[in-house]
Amino acid sequence: MNAAIQQLNNAFSLIAPDAVLLAAVCLIFFAAPFLVNDRGEAPVGLRHRWGCLSLLALLIAGCVWWQSPPVTRTLGPFVLDELTWYIRGLTLTFGVILVLLHWNQADDARSAESHACLLAILAGVNLIAASNDLVGLFVALELVSIPTYLFLLLPRRDAPAQEATLKYFLLSIFSSAVVLFGMSYLYGATGTTNLSGIHAAFSAAHGQQANPLVAVATVMLIAGLGFRLTAVPFHFYAPDVFQGAPTSAAAMLSFIPKIAGFVALLRLMVPATGAEQAINPWTMTPAATPLLWWLAVATMFVGNLMALMQTDIRRLLAYSSVSHAGYMMVGLLVGMEHEGQKHLLTKAIPQSVSGIGAMLFYLAVYGAMTLGTFAVLIAAARTDKRIETFDDLSGLSRTRPALALLLAIFLFSLAGLPPTAGFLGKLNLFFAAWAQGYESSKWLAVILAINAALGAWFYLKIIGVMFLREPVNRSPQETIIETPSLIAAGLCLVGTLGLFFLPGWLWVPIQSIMP
Amino acid sequence: MPSLLVVMIFLPAIAAVALLLLDPQATAVRARWVALLGTVTTFLVSWGVAAQFLALPEVSASARGPVHPQMVLRHTWLDLSQAGPQSPGVKLEFFLGLDGISLSLVLLTTILSISSVLVSWTAIKDRAAEFYACLLILETGLIGVFCSFDILLFYVFFEFTLIPLFFLVGIWGGPLRRYAAGKFFVYTLGGSLITLLGLVSLVVTTVQANPGLTTPFSIPDLANALTQNPLDKSVQLTLFLMIAAGFMVKVPLFPFHTWLPLAHVEAPTAGSVLLAGVLLKLGTYGFLRMLLPMLPYACLHTGLPLIGAMASIGIVYGSLCALSQNDIKKLVAYSSVAHLGFCMLGLFALNVEGISGGVLQMINHGLSTGALFCIVGMFYERYHTRQLNELGGIATKLPLMGVAMVFTSFASIGLPGLNGFVGEFLCLAGMFRAGDGQGVIFSALGAMGVVLGAWYLLGVVQHAFFGPVHLPAEHHGPGHEPIADLNAREVAALAPLLVLCLVLGLFPQPLLNLIRPDVEAVAKLYGNVQATNPNAEQHASLNNHASQKNLPSVALGSEVRP
Repeated sequence: MNAAIQQLNNAFSLIAPDAVLLAAVCLIFFAAPFLVNDRGEAPVGLRHRWGCLSLLALLIAGCVWWQSPPVTRTLGPFVLDELTWYIRGLTLTFGVILVLLHWNQADDARSAESHACLLAILAGVNLIAASNDLVGLFVALELVSIPTYLFLLLPRRDAPAQEATLKYFLLSIFSSAVVLFGMSYLYGATGTTNLSGIHAAFSAAHGQQANPLVAVATVMLIAGLGFRLTAVPFHFYAPDVFQGAPTSAAAMLSFIPKIAGFVALLRLMVPATGAEQAINPWTMTPAATPLLWWLAVATMFVGNLMALMQTDIRRLLAYSSVSHAGYMMVGLLVGMEHEGQKHLLTKAIPQSVSGIGAMLFYLAVYGAMTLGTFAVLIAAARTDKRIETFDDLSGLSRTRPALALLLAIFLFSLAGLPPTAGFLGKLNLFFAAWAQGYESSKWLAVILAINAALGAWFYLKIIGVMFLREPVNRSPQETIIETPSLIAAGLCLVGTLGLFFLPGWLWVPIQSIMP
Repeated sequence: MPSLLVVMIFLPAIAAVALLLLDPQATAVRARWVALLGTVTTFLVSWGVAAQFLALPEVSASARGPVHPQMVLRHTWLDLSQAGPQSPGVKLEFFLGLDGISLSLVLLTTILSISSVLVSWTAIKDRAAEFYACLLILETGLIGVFCSFDILLFYVFFEFTLIPLFFLVGIWGGPLRRYAAGKFFVYTLGGSLITLLGLVSLVVTTVQANPGLTTPFSIPDLANALTQNPLDKSVQLTLFLMIAAGFMVKVPLFPFHTWLPLAHVEAPTAGSVLLAGVLLKLGTYGFLRMLLPMLPYACLHTGLPLIGAMASIGIVYGSLCALSQNDIKKLVAYSSVAHLGFCMLGLFALNVEGISGGVLQMINHGLSTGALFCIVGMFYERYHTRQLNELGGIATKLPLMGVAMVFTSFASIGLPGLNGFVGEFLCLAGMFRAGDGQGVIFSALGAMGVVLGAWYLLGVVQHAFFGPVHLPAEHHGPGHEPIADLNAREVAALAPLLVLCLVLGLFPQPLLNLIRPDVEAVAKLYGNVQATNPNAEQHASLNNHASQKNLPSVALGSEVRP
C-alpha cells in the first residue's frame, strides 16, 4: 500500500505543471456559474478577468515546468524526459498566445468555460507527451478532443459554427475509435500497455517473423492520429471547420492537434531516449515508413495545390496547415528511419541532422508563424465583420500598414523565405532528409522543395492582395483595437524573427532529446 | 564598435527602418532626402571599407585557397550537430568578409543605389516612404550577398533580395505590375530552391568525404576541402546542374530569361536600375563563388559546353529580340540578356582572361545598362511613352540627354576607350582559347552579338534621338512643368556612372589588379594559370611602365591581351 502511494506521489511530481492547469480548469468551471445571472448575462468585462486567470495559471504552470527538469525514465505511468520537457515548454508558451488570441472572441458570459476548455486542451497535450502507457495516452488524447468540441462551439453559436463543431465531433470520435483499435492490437501483440514495455518487447523479438498484429496496429494508429495531423486523406474536415469556427479556435486547431498527433506518434513509434532500436521486422517502423512516405507526399501536394485555389483566407490557411503537416511528416519519417538505423548511420554520417530534431524545431517555428497569422487576422477584423475573403484584406497596407507588415512577415515565414525562422525550419528538414542517404528520403527532399515553391505562390497572393491592391470599402473608423491579439502577434513576431537569428535557443534543448 | 563592414551592410536597412518607424506618413520630400542621405553615407562607408581592404597586406598565392576573403567576421549561427558534445558538429555561421571581386561589386551597388534614389526623386509620389524603404532594404540585401562567405548566409541574402524587389515592382510598377512581380518572384524562387537543395547536398556529400571538416558551410573551407579531395565525377555533374538551376534563372541564361523583360518593363526606373545593375549579377556571382571553385570537373566538362552554348545563344537571341522591340525599355532589357551572355562566356572560359573579363563585364553592364535605364526613365517622365515609333529627335530638344544617351550607348556597345570594350574583349578572348575548339564557336557567336548590339542601340539613338523631331504632343495634364533638358539632379544621377564608364575604359588596370589574385586562384584550379602567369606578370610590368609614362591611350586593356 505504501509503495503504491509512493508511486502515485512520484507520478504526480512528473505531471505537476499539468496538474496546475487542470486545477485552474476545475476552479474556473466551479466559479463561473456563480458570476452569471439567471438570464445568462455576465457583468461587462468579466472576460478580462477570466483571461487574466488563465494567464496566471499558465504562468504558474510555467514556473513549475521550469523547476522540474527531466528525470530518468521509469516504468511508471508517466515520464518526464527531454521530449516531455520540450513539448511542455512549447504548449505553455503557445498557450499564452492562444489565451491572448481568445481574449475577446467569446462574450463575457461564455468566456469562462471556453478559457477552461483551452487550458484543458493544453493540459491534455502535455499529458500526451508525459504518458508512458497506452491507456494514459488515450485518455490524454481524449482530454484534448472533448474540450475542443466545446471550444469550437462556445464563442459563437451560429449555424456555420454548429456545422463545424458537428463535423469535427463526428470525425474526432471516429478517429479516437480507430486509435483505440490500433492500441488494442498493440496490446495483443506485446502483452503490455506500458510503452517502455512495448518497445522492450519489440527489441526482444529480434530475429522473429514479422507480426501482422503490429502492422495492423501501425496502420490504425497512423490513420487515427493522421486525423489530428490533418494528413491527407484525413484532412477533409479542416477547411470546413476552419471556415466555420471562431478565429481563435481555428488558430488553436491549426497548431495544437499537430503537437498532439506528432508527439503521440513519436511516443508510439520511436523508442525512448537512449534506447537503441535494432532493425527488426517486429517493430512498427517497417509498416510505418512506406505509409508515412506516401502520406507525407500526398499531404504536401494536396495541401499546396488545394490552397492555390482558395479565395477564403481561413480555407487557405486550413490547406496551408495541411501542407505544413506534410513537411513535418517528412521530418518524422526521416527521423524514424534514422533512429532505427542509428548505429549504422552514425558511422557513415557522423554529423547529420536528425529528422526528429528538425521536425520538433519546425513544430515550434510553425506555431509562431501560424498563430501570428491568425493573430493578425483577429486584430484586423472590423466591428461588423471578421476577415473572411481576400477582399477583406485588400489594401490592408493602406488602412493598417503595421498589421499588413506583420502579416507579410508571417506569410513570408510560412513560405520559407529568409530572414524568418520558417526558412531555417525548412532548411533543417531538407538537410535531415538529404543527409539520411536513402533514395526515398532524397525524393522527399526534392518534393519538399517543389512544394515550398508551390506554397510560396499562394502566400504571395495574400501579400499581393494586401500591398498591391486598393482597399475595398475603406472605412477606417470601423477598425477595432484588439490589444491582446496585437500582443500575441508581437510575441509571434519575436519568435519568427528571433529563431532565425538565434536558433540555438531552441536547438540546444532539441539536441538533448535525440542524442 | 562594430566593424565598418557590418555598418556598411546594415546602414541602409537601418535608414529604411527609421524611415518607416519614425514617420510612416512622411512626405515624399522628407523620405527622399532620408533615402539620399542613407545611400550617400553607405557609399562613403563603402569607400572606407575599400580603403581598409586596400591597406591590407597582400596574401601570397600559395598561402591562399581558391576563395580567400579578408576582413573576416565569424560568429556561430546554428550548430546542426546531433552527435553530442564530443562530435565537432556542422555549423552554420554568420561569416562576413570581402575579397577583390566582392569589393568591386559592393562599390557598384552603393553607386547605383544613389543613382536609383535620384532618378526616383520626382517619379515616385505615392507611398514614397515605403518606396525608399524598399530600395534601401534591397541595397542591404545586395551588399549582404557579396559580403557573405557562408553558403547559407549567402543564400539568405540571395533570397531576401526577392522580397523588396517584389514590392518595388508590384506596387510602383507599370500596368502589368502584379503579374510581373508574381512571375518574377515564383520563377526565381523555384530556381533557387533547387539551388538550395543542390547546396545542401554539396555540403552533405563533402562532409561525408571529409569527416574532419567542421565548417562545411563556409565557402573558403568548403572550397579548400574540395580542392584537396575532389568529389566523384558523376556526383559533380548532378550537383552542378542542381546548383546552377537557380543561378541560370537569375542571370538569366537563354531558355530561362522570360521573366526578365516583363519584370524590367513593369518595374519603376529605380527597380530596373538595381535589377539590371546588381540583381542579375547575383546569378553570375553565384556561378563564380559556388560553382567554379567547388566543382572544377563539372564546370570544365559540362559547364563549359552547356553554359557556353546557352550564353552564346542568349547573346544572339537576346540581340535579335532587342532588335525587334518597339518599347525602348524592353529593348534594353533584352540587351541585358545579351550582355549577361558575354559575362557567362567569360566566366566559363575558365582562364584568367575570361574570368577577369567576366567580372569586369559584370561591373560594366551594371554601369552602362544602369545608365541606360536611368535615361529611359527620364524621357519616359517627360514624354510618357517609350515607343520607338512615337519618339524622334529628342537630342534636338534635349541636347544634354542626347549626349548622355550617345555616350551610354557607345559604352554599352563596347566602343574602344569605354568600359564595355575591355570587358567584352577579355571575355571573348578568354573564350576563344577555351574548350578545345568549341570556345571558338562560342566566341564567334558572341562577336556576332557585338555587331547586333551596335545595330539595335544605334538604331535607338538614330530613331529616337536624331532625325526629324516628332515627339508626343504635350498631352499630359495641366500644371505639368514644360519639358526641359536634364536638370542638376538628373545629371548627378547619371554623371558618376558615365564617368566610371570612361575611367574603366581608359584605365581598367587598377580594377583588374584588384580582382586578379582572386581570379587567378580560381583559374589555377583549371591549370591555365601556369601558361599565362609569366605573361600576366610581363603585362603587369608593362602596365606599370605605361602608367609611369602616363600614356593612357596605350592602356586600352590591350596589355592583358593573351
